Amino acid sequence: MVEMNLNRRQFLKLSGATAATLAVVELGFNEKKAYAKTKEFKIAKATVTPTICCYCGVGCGILVHTKNNTVVYTEGDPDSPINEGKLCSKGTTLRQLYTSEKRLTKPLYRAPGSNKWEEKDWEWMLDTIAKRTKETRDNSFVEVENGVTVNKTEKIASLGGAALDNEETYLLSKLMRGLGITYLEHQARI
Amino acid sequence: MTKYVKYVDVTKCDGCRACMVACKNWNDLPAEPTEFLGSAQSHAKTTADTWNVLQYIEHENGKGNLEYLFRHSSCFHCTDAACEKVCPENAISYTKYGTVVIDQDTCVGCGYCTQNCPFEVISLKEYKDKNGKEYRKAHKCTMCTDRIDEGLQPACVTTCHTGAMEFGDKDAMIQKAEQRVKEIKDRYPNAMVYNPQGVGGTHSVYVLAEKPSVYGLPDNPKVPTSAVLWKDYAQPIGKAMIGATTMAVVGAFVANKIFSKKANGHDEDGGGNHE
Repeated sequence: MVEMNLNRRQFLKLSGATAATLAVVELGFNEKKAYAKTKEFKIAKATVTPTICCYCGVGCGILVHTKNNTVVYTEGDPDSPINEGKLCSKGTTLRQLYTSEKRLTKPLYRAPGSNKWEEKDWEWMLDTIAKRTKETRDNSFVEVENGVTVNKTEKIASLGGAALDNEETYLLSKLMRGLGITYLEHQARI
Repeated sequence: MTKYVKYVDVTKCDGCRACMVACKNWNDLPAEPTEFLGSAQSHAKTTADTWNVLQYIEHENGKGNLEYLFRHSSCFHCTDAACEKVCPENAISYTKYGTVVIDQDTCVGCGYCTQNCPFEVISLKEYKDKNGKEYRKAHKCTMCTDRIDEGLQPACVTTCHTGAMEFGDKDAMIQKAEQRVKEIKDRYPNAMVYNPQGVGGTHSVYVLAEKPSVYGLPDNPKVPTSAVLWKDYAQPIGKAMIGATTMAVVGAFVANKIFSKKANGHDEDGGGNHE
């Protein structure tokens, strides 16, 4: 038998080393679990905003999960009576409306006869739209037709988008009828 | 722990592909543009960035009529998974829900799982680290295990608008599948539940309208015997031996260090005594 002359300190060191070796080699330290705990759930702490799908006229409800100033996930809104949480393949891509590199972030203007798009600011854009709408309306306004008061213009048409909700559609039709527009359509009716 | 099953009734599927998009959306997978393949099917099979693919199959049925068959194809999450068996790094494991997941940190990209999967649903992806060195990782459907952890259903299931996919308790789902097959036997005489027992049953259970071969599925998939031998016999013995050797070497080293400090020199190897 090998003689072991250990003092107290050496004995403690040896026991400690053995225990540590055992722990690492035999029992195993599960890194997998430790790692899994550090990974945060993708939509944890995200802000959830309900919206309406802008693509077809069905008007499915969608929940938009936003975090760190970007959209991290979109899904069907289970509370929506229209789609009850379900979506089609196109509606499921709604997140790309915001995250896509091809997304336009500034208004583009193409002058009549031009073949180029120019970047314009919103102020110029809205002013120009208002000015030209007024101009066209005033120039084409018909007050009386065949002895009947009509107060209409046939030179302007309006087409509402599917992303509009009831209230927005109401406001849109009020404004358009106020201008005397008769060609008033909405995507949901097509 | 309750085991969960993704129930897929292919006869209710209308081929809208929302499940494919939902998968990419949840898992942040990039788009993979493809060439026209001669049918409405977008991708030939699942890849490292496309974890589920909707199959479009033009099939002539028993009466000589065209059947347009769809199938949501993704990982089956086998009870006895060949991928888990062959993984030399133990990077593939079963979760308490019955799903099979790949740990991306442990995976070394050897590709054994991709070669041994009876359903060919695992693929390797190539990456480059910041020094330009190439490495690979295996990817496949996780059944949204992170979502199940939070009490949510997989992304593909939540978006399915025809109710072709459901997610729930294993036994209930299998029962549902058997019931459904009875209902559709008139229209699809070959209809069957696809829950292959060769791999111990799966956690994606299908109601198929036709024989598995029509969908390109194996009739009776199995875990390769060589994989079982390797994993259940060769590897544990090998590991035990490595463990014992490591213990002996480390132990001897530590003991030597301590003893050599002693000036009166007990040079004999004390390593054997505390093992």
